[in-house]
Amino acid sequence: MDESPKKELAVRRNTSSHLHRKEETPSWHLGAPVDIFFRSSPCRIVVVNAQELDHPIIYVNLIFEQVTGYRADEVLGRNCRFLQYQGSFAKTRYPLVDIRILTEICRCLSEGFDFEGERLNFRKGGSPLMNRLYIKPICNDEGIITHFLGVQSFKEANFDLSPLRGLVWKKSSGAIHTHILGDMYSQKSLFVHRDCSFKKCCPLYKVSDEVLVVNILARLTPKDVTSLGSVCHRFYNLTKDESLWKLVCQNIWGQETFSILESVARRRRLWWGKIVRELTTLEAAAWRKLTVGGSVEPSCINFSVCAVGSKVVLFGGEGVNMQPVNDTFVLDLNEDCPEWTHINVNSAPPGRWGHTLSGLSDSRLVVFGGCGRNGLLNDAFVLDLDEPQPTWREVSCSTRPLPRSWHSSCILDGTKLIVSGGCTDSGALLSDTFLLDLTMEKPVWKEINVSWRPPSRLGHTLSVLGNHKILMYGGLATSGPLRLRSSDVYIMDLSEEETRWKYVTGSMLPGGVSTCNSAPPPRLDHAAVSLPGGRVVVFGGSIAGSRLETKVYILDPMEEKPTWRILYVQGRQPKYASGHSTCLVGGTRVVVLGGHHTEDWMLTELHELCLINLKGTD
Amino acid sequence: MVKECKVKLKSSDDKIFEVDYAVAIQSQILNNTLGHTGCTDSALPLHNVSSQILAKVIDYCEYHVNASSTISEKDVKMWDQEFVKHLDQATLLDLLMAAQYLGIHNLQELTCQTVADRIKDKRPEDIREIFNIQNDLTPEEEEEIRCENEWAFEEEVSP
Repeated sequence: MDESPKKELAVRRNTSSHLHRKEETPSWHLGAPVDIFFRSSPCRIVVVNAQELDHPIIYVNLIFEQVTGYRADEVLGRNCRFLQYQGSFAKTRYPLVDIRILTEICRCLSEGFDFEGERLNFRKGGSPLMNRLYIKPICNDEGIITHFLGVQSFKEANFDLSPLRGLVWKKSSGAIHTHILGDMYSQKSLFVHRDCSFKKCCPLYKVSDEVLVVNILARLTPKDVTSLGSVCHRFYNLTKDESLWKLVCQNIWGQETFSILESVARRRRLWWGKIVRELTTLEAAAWRKLTVGGSVEPSCINFSVCAVGSKVVLFGGEGVNMQPVNDTFVLDLNEDCPEWTHINVNSAPPGRWGHTLSGLSDSRLVVFGGCGRNGLLNDAFVLDLDEPQPTWREVSCSTRPLPRSWHSSCILDGTKLIVSGGCTDSGALLSDTFLLDLTMEKPVWKEINVSWRPPSRLGHTLSVLGNHKILMYGGLATSGPLRLRSSDVYIMDLSEEETRWKYVTGSMLPGGVSTCNSAPPPRLDHAAVSLPGGRVVVFGGSIAGSRLETKVYILDPMEEKPTWRILYVQGRQPKYASGHSTCLVGGTRVVVLGGHHTEDWMLTELHELCLINLKGTD
Repeated sequence: MVKECKVKLKSSDDKIFEVDYAVAIQSQILNNTLGHTGCTDSALPLHNVSSQILAKVIDYCEYHVNASSTISEKDVKMWDQEFVKHLDQATLLDLLMAAQYLGIHNLQELTCQTVADRIKDKRPEDIREIFNIQNDLTPEEEEEIRCENEWAFEEEVSP
């Protein structure tokens, strides 16, 4: 019933030689195994027309509707194979569906025998069902098979199902070659349509929901999908399906962001449509205070943090007597009562402050530079948090960038460390940019050569946009003999052959004032966070006049004329101004700790900027 | 495997088209079928593709079989854009369905992206007009949906 055999074989006489076949007259007597099914548990019944191409369903019972979640009017006329697809809009059947069972079903159908076996199906919402299936051919008086009767009893299946896959068109890898022509006709399911709400002259009428969602809607931005959802009933209903929003997210924000958000969505039972909307509009952005247990001792300032999954990792800092420390602490925000834990690592790097700590893929992090006991450093160490005994390992390189502190760094592609600017031993400011590819066996520091460099600076930020662009903002920059706070934004596209820094917005003169009213005042030691879609959010920092900076600003560099806007955030802002450390946890929470004016030296009171509403639906 | 043979294709309205093997195998479905049966004299029936659309599909495949080696990527892109530019919605969608049915990945990409581009940045009224979709929402429903979806039509990120 699920695989359409070759068209020529769809109508066959029942042969009398096979073991499985039951001799029965009249043909509506179902025989013993099916009776047992009826008696033992509520059964789904499906009847398909054996004489029509692709065996369309002509009847399903109420139990079928209740168990699978598909209504009769949604499935009549279709082949049953949709039950093997996880979720309404999956493109290929789920890999755990056993192809051998399907082959056996095909064989029985084409040769006119009964079939009995177990198979994995999915409800409309995507949850799995293990299906005990009995298929029986029904013959007319002349012995010609006119229908197939399917009786299915079910039990819940516990599988670790992988997340919804993205936009990949390919034939299911287990396709049986002998049924290739049959599969051609399987595309008929693409042509099923609803006949409500559409005039026959509308060309979209012919396109099935699956094709529409997976191939077209998933390519649109959230705004365009919403616009389409306002057009008519059909599209409005499509936008109510979670699968669509998951596909949209994967498409516009990438697989990495999708995976991070998925674990948050699953844990907090958030509706995907809402996640995508809130991350687009940031309407639910709110400051929250977070009290955590444990403490970071010995207490320090000028440490560095980064996020690894749901964890905040802290390394180094300036302790009492201005001595650099080299402790590693972890705070897991997924725990019910998060608390700081000191990690006993093997071979910690030399203590330092004014360094950078950045998160790589696969739970690893890298630290670079900073001010150590005996001067500035230019060494890099990597830590793998997933190791049973985490060990800091130095990245040995023959040539290194100049030792520095108060530089900025970011990670491209989860594997490449980029470092820029900072302050040298002599007090001079730097304007260089270096890249360290940590996927190589012997990583080598490569300077990114550009024809023109922005003025040298420290205390600025580097943010990653997508897979290959970086954005530099602010800092204390050289301006002739002076050093002034900057409000300039520069972008570099590392996929270009001739990489160069492009000026985006600002004042071109460090310390100057931008003409736009919503532009943030020039600053250093601020926080900058990359949001999905390439937007950058900036707050805090030291601004001229010792004012406390309280506003949050957002910039979309993808716009034609990128302009800073003020982001309205509910809740009470952290009081302290600059020198704090921030990281983005779970793609949705910007955790802020430390800072020059804080009184919380133990780091038990944190602030976080929640980008979306994390309260679940149930 | 003889690669020089011709392949006969029959559209839904019974027209026969003859194409080179290399052109035909751009369709995954035909590639798999021909891989099994080899080149035969009988025409392969394509029940879901009309002759008008099949002709266009063949045009596309014939250009692309030569394009990979001889023409620059930029020029191929330009040709693709010209190919879809003036297609009316009905033809474009038929072409999309045919590409899906036949398993021609790059044509499917092209047609899907073109439809998406025609929806991009359009207000609901415009989408209805372009695709000739009847508005079956009552005024109350329309108002309710408009309020719910207002965020998508705002200019600014925040007030």
